[in-house]
Amino acid sequence: MRALRALALGTVAVGMLAYAVAAAAAVIVQAGGGVLDVHVGPLVLVAVERSGAVTSTMFGPGLLAVAALGGLANAAAAALLARRARRRARVPQMIDR
Amino acid sequence: MLDAGDRLVLADGVVFCNGTLVDAVARASWPVNATGALVLARSGCALGDVADDVAATFVVSVERARTDVLSFAWELNRLALANVDRRAGRVRHAVAWLRLAVRLAPAGTLPAITVRRLRLDTRTIPRAIAGVGRAGAGRGAGIAVAVAVLVAHIGLLAGRPSLLLPVAVGLASGGGLIVHEAAHAAALRGIPSALVFRGRRVSVLHAPAGPGRRALVAAAGPGVTAIIGTGLLAVSVSYSTPALALVAGPAVVHALALTVLASDGRTACEL
Repeated sequence: MRALRALALGTVAVGMLAYAVAAAAAVIVQAGGGVLDVHVGPLVLVAVERSGAVTSTMFGPGLLAVAALGGLANAAAAALLARRARRRARVPQMIDR
Repeated sequence: MLDAGDRLVLADGVVFCNGTLVDAVARASWPVNATGALVLARSGCALGDVADDVAATFVVSVERARTDVLSFAWELNRLALANVDRRAGRVRHAVAWLRLAVRLAPAGTLPAITVRRLRLDTRTIPRAIAGVGRAGAGRGAGIAVAVAVLVAHIGLLAGRPSLLLPVAVGLASGGGLIVHEAAHAAALRGIPSALVFRGRRVSVLHAPAGPGRRALVAAAGPGVTAIIGTGLLAVSVSYSTPALALVAGPAVVHALALTVLASDGRTACEL
């Protein structure tokens, strides 16, 4: 349950932050009148395209992949913290014996 | 940092009865010895006068009594059971704190800061939100001014002076703190709670709740603030307004508090 919760919260948090960075980059490029294409391998993170007077901004599946990676990292960190807490809690028991 | 002229006042929700200090919010109690009982009975008096009373009652030196009384008062304040009333002079205390900070600077440490606990009415969501707004307004305004000055300075260095943008970013940063704590308080509806200011950290102290509710309360603060920020960012992308993206930035950063890097995230994950 704890791992699932950490995975979900980490995914949401990193997803929002990744979207924020991508959106900030996109809006700056939009205002500057340029184009943008950021991708990791085949996965597009954010793209700003122009055709004539029309500007289109696309947030790609790369953001979902980044969010999922963030969720996994958060779940791993939560597991590590839980293991350290358990180890710390075990020490007094050993002393009592 | 406590002074002999400071007064100790039990926080809202904390009572002393039958030799026991009871925290109705945290649902915890502490037995208090005779000296502690005398100090608590003189609650509201200057700590120096209380120390004189302790010295006279228990026949100990004034220095020893003063050390004991200040240590006890410090411990109560650290546990957010009592507030320190500085009606003797906040400016004088601030100057004394700064002087001590300068003396301690070579050791790389700062003098301790007192804790302030305020009542939080969580009977209804509007009351909880209004309570946080009132209690956190000063802190929020301070953050807003500091961020506005910083952003204005960066704008000047970048050769793009502006007044509106620094003010908007400052208000978003200060408002973000209030929204964060207000969301915690709203999620605590019906649970006795208090707002605790510990230096630059603000936290909500509340009565024990189930694991699910605890996780909801912890995630609500950063979650709601980050969702508002993300919404503003979406609007800024739709209308190509970089200024709105800058305003949304401080709110989105609250999303970091959903991870185990922050205490809210760790609480939500029961760590």
